[in-house]
Amino acid sequence: MRHLSLKYITLVVAMCASALLSLSIGPRQDVFLSDLLSAFATDELSINQSIIFDLRLPRTFVAILVGANLGLAGMILQAITRNPLASPSILGINQGAALGMTLGLVFPSIILLNLDFMAILGALIAGALTFSFANSAKNGFNSLRLILAGIAVGAFSYAMVRFTFILDDDLAREVIGWTSGNISASNWQDVKPLIVWTLLGIISSYLLAHKFNLLALGEAASQGLGANPKLIQFMGAVIAATLTAITVAVAGPVMFIGLVIPHFCRRFFGQDHRLLLPATMLAGALLMSLADIVAKLINFPYETPTGIICALIGAPYFLYQSLTVKGAKL
Amino acid sequence: MSQSVKQQNIRPQWQADLYVYFRSKSFVIQVVLFVLVIVASVWSLMVGAVSIPVQVTINTLFDLDGDQQKYIILRSRLPRVVLALMTGGALAISGAVIQAIIRNPLASPKIIGVNSGAALFACLMIILLPDIPASYLPLAACAGGILAALIIFFATFGRNLSGVHLALVGIAVGFICESGVDYILVALPTHELATPLVWLTGSFWGRSWTHVYAVWLPLCTMAAVGLTMAYRLDILHLGAETATGLGLNVQVQRLILLLIATLLASISVGVAGVLGFVGLMAPHIARRLVGGNHRLVLPASALVGMLLVVLADGAGRAIFPPIEISAGILTAIFGAPFFIYIMLTSSQE
Amino acid sequence: MSIKKYLTSAVALAMVGMASLVNAGEITHELGVTNVPDAPKRIIVLEFSFIDALASVGVSPVGIADDKKRDRVIPAYTDVIGNEWVSVGTRKTPSLEIMASLNPDLIIADKTRHSAVYEALSEIAPTIVLDSLSGNYPESVEQMSIIGKAIGKSEQMEARVAAHKATMKDYIAQMKNTGNYVAQFGVTNKTGLFLHSPVSYNGSLLELFGFKSNMVKTNGDTYDENYVETSLEQLSVVNPDILILGKYADPAHTDSWAEEPLFKQLTAVKNGNVYNITAHNWSRLRGMLAAELTAADLLEIMKKVK
Repeated sequence: MRHLSLKYITLVVAMCASALLSLSIGPRQDVFLSDLLSAFATDELSINQSIIFDLRLPRTFVAILVGANLGLAGMILQAITRNPLASPSILGINQGAALGMTLGLVFPSIILLNLDFMAILGALIAGALTFSFANSAKNGFNSLRLILAGIAVGAFSYAMVRFTFILDDDLAREVIGWTSGNISASNWQDVKPLIVWTLLGIISSYLLAHKFNLLALGEAASQGLGANPKLIQFMGAVIAATLTAITVAVAGPVMFIGLVIPHFCRRFFGQDHRLLLPATMLAGALLMSLADIVAKLINFPYETPTGIICALIGAPYFLYQSLTVKGAKL
Repeated sequence: MSQSVKQQNIRPQWQADLYVYFRSKSFVIQVVLFVLVIVASVWSLMVGAVSIPVQVTINTLFDLDGDQQKYIILRSRLPRVVLALMTGGALAISGAVIQAIIRNPLASPKIIGVNSGAALFACLMIILLPDIPASYLPLAACAGGILAALIIFFATFGRNLSGVHLALVGIAVGFICESGVDYILVALPTHELATPLVWLTGSFWGRSWTHVYAVWLPLCTMAAVGLTMAYRLDILHLGAETATGLGLNVQVQRLILLLIATLLASISVGVAGVLGFVGLMAPHIARRLVGGNHRLVLPASALVGMLLVVLADGAGRAIFPPIEISAGILTAIFGAPFFIYIMLTSSQE
Repeated sequence: MSIKKYLTSAVALAMVGMASLVNAGEITHELGVTNVPDAPKRIIVLEFSFIDALASVGVSPVGIADDKKRDRVIPAYTDVIGNEWVSVGTRKTPSLEIMASLNPDLIIADKTRHSAVYEALSEIAPTIVLDSLSGNYPESVEQMSIIGKAIGKSEQMEARVAAHKATMKDYIAQMKNTGNYVAQFGVTNKTGLFLHSPVSYNGSLLELFGFKSNMVKTNGDTYDENYVETSLEQLSVVNPDILILGKYADPAHTDSWAEEPLFKQLTAVKNGNVYNITAHNWSRLRGMLAAELTAADLLEIMKKVK
């Protein structure tokens, strides 16, 4: 147990360190962390204080929360499907969100509410499609089919998104801006709903964590222990889709965090979802804030969308994962 | 009686095969497919931003008396149709071979990462070596496709992975390449450049005879080799253990066939961009039509592939003239639902 | 209308040159040398700046890559070239077939967009390729002369260019103290703000009028270094005295900054020196008439600057 708490402490320290590092990096090199501290002491913010408090701090918060949510969503998806590869980007949920936004940009007349809502709608529809394809009346739920269906849904959505690239310059620019996972324009308005949804996500998934453990024993065994597998799976799917959709609305589709993080955490924190939950959130936040640092530095002083950096980090890990995953788990 | 037995013994095996083949139902289907490909090609020559009546099309093609549309038919549309036929056929053969090798009906060049690898390298070439003419794109694409295939091959070599697992590794390699392509498109100073973007969506826009000359020889050679090696596929399709029992060195055969499939798909991507799902759909449709024998499936799926791409290119020109919808978009729109349909009905699971 | 004045003077000058009618002949352009027929009649243009060139000497193109939106060719042009052109599709992927069906005798294409199809275009008609999209203002004026030569109206075009240069000098003379200001132009859509750097067309134009820039200079060979996506923090580094915005969307991305303390503290915002202009005229159009429109806008801005 002491061993475990040491791991948690390491994660927390690493996450805080990377968050602070990310805070201190930006195109303005005359802004320091000390400006943040002094910002809390004054009523009227100076320019430097305003930069770190109004621009960089919400952005770092968004990175942390988005990372945490995606890590959590990935953990839930993997728990309910008992498939170590299930995650928002593999199941086509992210790509569906991108398609939703793209349709809204190309045909402004079909926008319901606003573009964020279009993203959420796209994410939910894509997720629902993937799951329904994986469930067939004849053979029941099939894990491999889930992955393949997700990839088909994702490929379909992405082909449509790419099409807009050959239309107008300005339209292509907007689509790329929305769909590349760019958090550079985050502000406090983005942070507030994220915090609320994250808290809801934590609470609801913590309540379900024990049931996820039962589910890991297999549907029949979990039923024997008094759990209703279908209900748990449904609730888990709804929580995961909501968490993903909310991050998409704020940051755009960010790939692979939900895939990489739960897998990584399981190696160090074991299979108990009650212990995994905080670990995946912390590690997701850590990865996302690291990616954000890279995004700020790779083409300094210009920025690269954080989502692209995540994809570059995550995709090779997926290859590693696909090689090491045991055949039986498929 | 003994006479006929003797004759059959003298007659080489391929002649006997051919004899049986000409009398089979599959032969009729192949002929019908062939006719359909011709009809679709002529239709594709007629439609586009400027519609041309069939009479004028035929006049121009065969240099008959009467109205002609020399430039549009001969210089603009004919090379596109020829390229569509070649890339469609190549992708279909590639898909059929890959499906046979990894014994998975859902496999295709796109699913095992070859398309994405080719796309990544072609993008890299456009970015890093902007002064090299676009006719060298197929070379870069081949390098990328082969590299992706090599990664998959070495990563799985000696591990005795199942076909499904192999597909998963391919998907992962595909994701790596895709994220590289995304990085190039979004982060590097080119996301407004027309060339890589238009090409990436699988478009025949602006393709001319130069492109045809650049790829016809390798494509036709590979396709011919692939077709003649088809009988090995039947043996491989029985499964790795059986094939070893029948005296084929499975790993070597797999490697050669995989190389041919990779080259076919990569060259197609290099010249026409990513035409998603053609390599998946065509062999399936072909198998439904002519059964599981690969000597029949390969030519049939080549014909189906040609038909699909020629139709996609023609339709892309005909829908919103003068704006073109890339053929690759249309194949993906029809291909993804088809993929899911195959998945749902596939009895192999 | 000043344009009419120029046209009449240009025509008068051209009359003088008529006697020794120049052979258009071989035109050297970005991708080589093209043999162009004398005084081509049916011209297709694939960028807006080439319309500007044709309109300057009163020639109407038969085909324009107008992105399928005819109103992108502004009235200042249609007054001269009429409304008879055929749309050949988008600037990115113009339809080769429609171009061919127009039987052109000259095609003017852009280096960035159309290099890949240069061969296909050359099969349709003699094609010259110029760097419009990533070129700066002095280059765009030089291109006018090349186009003038290609369409066999060299003298007329030189006269128009001379008149244009005089007009611009006039504008420069009217704008005083521009050297005291850091001016920055940017285009904003729903998702971002894109600053046009000093090497871009608009950046070089601002430089011509004597404005200073705080952006880091790049070599300008590629498009993105001309047009840099910019966050609020980066904008605060540039911190211009005059911020000129072209909005392609309403509300635009920059509107979401209105309440940000940092935005309010920008020098341009604090002093009320943020000006909105027509994004289309500044950003998509390039050429002499376009530059004169820009100059007129700038003159208005300088009258208001506090």
